[in-house]
Amino acid sequence: MTGRESNRIKDAEKKRVLDSTARQRRARKALEALEQDNFHDDPHADLVMSKKLPKFQDSLKTGKEKKGKRKGAEYFRAKYRKNFQQLLEEDKDKQPNYESAAAPAPQKPLRHFCAVCGNFSLYSCTACGTRYCRVRCLNTHQDTRCLKWTA
Amino acid sequence: MANAVVVLDNGAHTAKVGLANQDEPQVVPNCIMKAKSERRRAFVGNQIDECRDTSALYYILAFQRGYLLNWDTQKTVWDYIFSKDGIGCTLENRNIVITEPQMNFQSVQEAMLEMLFEEYRVAGVYKTTAADLAAFNYVADSEERTTMQSLNCIIIDVGYSFTHIVPFVLGRRVLEGIRRIDMGGKALTNHLKELISYRHLNVMDESHVVNQIKEDVCFVAEDFKQAMQVHYSEEKRREITVDYVLPDFTTVKRGYVRIPGKPREDEEQQQMVPLCNERFTVPELLFNPSDIGVQQVGIPEAVADCLKACPWEAHRELLLNILIVGGSAQFPGFLPRLKQDLRALVPDDLEVSLICPEDPVRYAWYGGKEVATSPNFDEFVYTHDDYDEYGFQGINQR
Repeated sequence: MTGRESNRIKDAEKKRVLDSTARQRRARKALEALEQDNFHDDPHADLVMSKKLPKFQDSLKTGKEKKGKRKGAEYFRAKYRKNFQQLLEEDKDKQPNYESAAAPAPQKPLRHFCAVCGNFSLYSCTACGTRYCRVRCLNTHQDTRCLKWTA
Repeated sequence: MANAVVVLDNGAHTAKVGLANQDEPQVVPNCIMKAKSERRRAFVGNQIDECRDTSALYYILAFQRGYLLNWDTQKTVWDYIFSKDGIGCTLENRNIVITEPQMNFQSVQEAMLEMLFEEYRVAGVYKTTAADLAAFNYVADSEERTTMQSLNCIIIDVGYSFTHIVPFVLGRRVLEGIRRIDMGGKALTNHLKELISYRHLNVMDESHVVNQIKEDVCFVAEDFKQAMQVHYSEEKRREITVDYVLPDFTTVKRGYVRIPGKPREDEEQQQMVPLCNERFTVPELLFNPSDIGVQQVGIPEAVADCLKACPWEAHRELLLNILIVGGSAQFPGFLPRLKQDLRALVPDDLEVSLICPEDPVRYAWYGGKEVATSPNFDEFVYTHDDYDEYGFQGINQR
């Protein structure tokens, strides 16, 4: 079916625009990334320890050395395996607590920065809402980031 | 009881540890690290100094969001610290001064006491926070002009996971006044990492190297708007821009700022990153976390907000005694900027005076040393007998 249609309108329909929830999700992900310890996988993950290798230790442990039974790291890991969310939940009854100590939200208007070069930004990308400051930065953004990383 | 007290300021990034009769503490990375180049072993604490190639270092941290959650990691690091490679003595039958984060969770406190008493068999524990120790040191430094009982001050602890504003009125923490900003050294490093990775070359795996870049080149702009002129004025831009030579771990062991006109050997072949606005927009996040979407006020406003929760009679003295500790306080320009911003936010008849000690990282440890050597230290200690009698709850009821 080839009709006489405007290419501009056809292109505009194809263009995906992120709604506000998707944008918020992206922003939250970006913030969570700031908490991450590592962005790559454990370099020793594929290592298989050979049992044949003798283990050299500075001191040879004798059975008598240990007086009482010590519990070891494994015990503590098992007993206190609580994640952050669980701890927050437990903490709720106490006042003041973790949440009440958080600094309040700012009253000042937000400043916006160009995601590409870092300058103050006046415009935002129509598709994903990322800020930019000039056409050159918008082009870079569209070539590299815009909708290219999965939300 | 001739055994010297162990003082351990257990931070999320580095632990500051030493015996109270020593002059200064060791600063030990509080984590286990794995290197790509060395596949036989992992590096615990200071062992990382033995590692020649610290590219793509993989971190296993005991702390998550500023709280001690990974106990097996922490135990490995403590085992290392209290061995002959660390401070050279065990904890057995010694008293320990140990720090915990503000608003520490009940279950974390329980785990810590259980581990110290039952695993390391300490004789007694004095559990406190880094801010308390810093306040104690502040009193000791004042040469008897103030006492702990009459101390009114605000401690700003700019840490690795977050920043805390802790007011002390008459020597006691005002719990309602404590403010936390979820912005610290770790977020700054990660943010810088993202900026460099997008704008220049991918360094997402290089936390260790980027942390060094941050420490080497970042500063706090006294006037942020003026500093942003780098985007409009060529002259300004040239003034701020530096080329950072990245380490390749064969000839260059540690990255450094290139000095124009004075090239070092083979410098042309090394990878370089130009840094311009990144130098000041990154530490700026401590003052405006909302710049990257963290819905919290920055340090100056948080101090003003914390004042509201304190009795008004104390405001004058609180503002006169603001002490800044923690690793991220070391950015050049931090102090003048904070003073300038704070000045604008508080009543004009109150004077504002800030102090940042020469060594904000170890400052709290020195406070711990003062506590441990003070004559009435024994009153603070929660002994093994107390623990056997009252369990972990007893420590907070005294």
